[in-house]
Amino acid sequence: MAQRPQPIEDQMRTLVVGVADFKISTDPLTYIATFALGSCLGITFHDEKHRVGGLLHVMLPSSTIREGQKIRPPMFLDTGLPLALESMIRAGAKKSHIRCKVFGGAELMLSDKFFRIGSKNIDMFYQLSDSLELDVVAWEVSGRVNRTIRLDNQTGEVIVKVPAKPEFIR
Amino acid sequence: MNKASEMQTVVEMTRSIPCAPAILPKLLKLTEGSAADIGELETLITMDTGLATSVLRTANSAYFGNASRCDNIADAVLRLGSKTLYRIAANTLTGRWLVHPLRGYGWEPGDLCRHSLCVAICAEVFAGFTNLADSSTAYTAGLIHDLGKFALAYANLSALDEVASRVPNEYATWREAETAILGYNSSQVTKALLETWGFPSAFISVGFYYQSPSQAPDVDKPLVTLIHAAKHAASQLGYGVGADGYYYEPDEKCLAEAGFTEEQMDAALPEILSAMQRFVAADGQIHFN
Repeated sequence: MAQRPQPIEDQMRTLVVGVADFKISTDPLTYIATFALGSCLGITFHDEKHRVGGLLHVMLPSSTIREGQKIRPPMFLDTGLPLALESMIRAGAKKSHIRCKVFGGAELMLSDKFFRIGSKNIDMFYQLSDSLELDVVAWEVSGRVNRTIRLDNQTGEVIVKVPAKPEFIR
Repeated sequence: MNKASEMQTVVEMTRSIPCAPAILPKLLKLTEGSAADIGELETLITMDTGLATSVLRTANSAYFGNASRCDNIADAVLRLGSKTLYRIAANTLTGRWLVHPLRGYGWEPGDLCRHSLCVAICAEVFAGFTNLADSSTAYTAGLIHDLGKFALAYANLSALDEVASRVPNEYATWREAETAILGYNSSQVTKALLETWGFPSAFISVGFYYQSPSQAPDVDKPLVTLIHAAKHAASQLGYGVGADGYYYEPDEKCLAEAGFTEEQMDAALPEILSAMQRFVAADGQIHFN
């Protein structure tokens, strides 16, 4: 008797990206996920044609904060974004086909002098995405909400989960 | 049921949760200073099987282990030292308490534990560059700062859903909404719990005033301000932050008076992250040992 094919959803594996980390996959049957972005930014990269996807979870805007010390490049936007882009291209993506989506950058209430990492990350991403000529097709940033995201490497869709709310797709 | 007796019921319900962190105040007292009483520590630790197991496992781990195997608590206490011992106890006891499945606040299982651990680590790191508290006290205060929320969520009050649905449209902060809808707030529940367990007054002040450090008694203000700073820094990192997480107001005046600067706090985040990643894996799994 012929076996029924396994549903796509059951064949998907999940690659988890930690804070200050970048992961890439050339397997379409993969979710690339990261948990609880807070003020950090989660940036997804996807080249549908060449079937390459990646996810970068950065914490801070600029590595100058650790000047003279050893750094983890994916921790910072200024070092993490170029690294992610290069890795995507090395894995077979074409820059002109890469679509980016950006998530996170949550902010605290009424904060003028402290705890403004969310807005500083968003400002830095604007600048860098412009200078790196990234094709940013979705923004789900700012606000007072903690986001968990999952890139579907087959479609490039990103499934977003926030506390106490149903998932939605960007 | 009136509001005062409902709050008392919330506190009472937590008694049914096994191994609440009630022995922490005694342990803190025994481990502070240089001359800890090994016999008393051994008695206290062996009262809790899970804690005794964690202590022995850590003493025999690759990091602490040496040629001879450590097979009793007294030897483990000597090998680990009081600071490490206290850290294991605090993590084991509060961690076990804070990972129960809960409703309210939009938490996933273990979220409050992850968040409390992150606040504890932030507090410890901030204690290192301020003179606001010693690192062990700061760490413990971070772990226990929001126990009242756990108690409320554990009591499974349907009114918590109403709180969530009315912030921010009707109430600017989560605490305002709790006070208006429940008739009391989670800080009052934390205070009642810590009083019931006999925690020192400084910890009770942290539980009650960490959202409004300016109102804390002068004697406790440094520790309360430290936890206020740690709470907001931890919220930025996102670990275990629920639906309420960004609806608390930073007291910038109090932070500035205590000597905090934004640059200093931002620069501390890489160290905080490294410490956090020793306990929490990328997929959110918590490993205390």
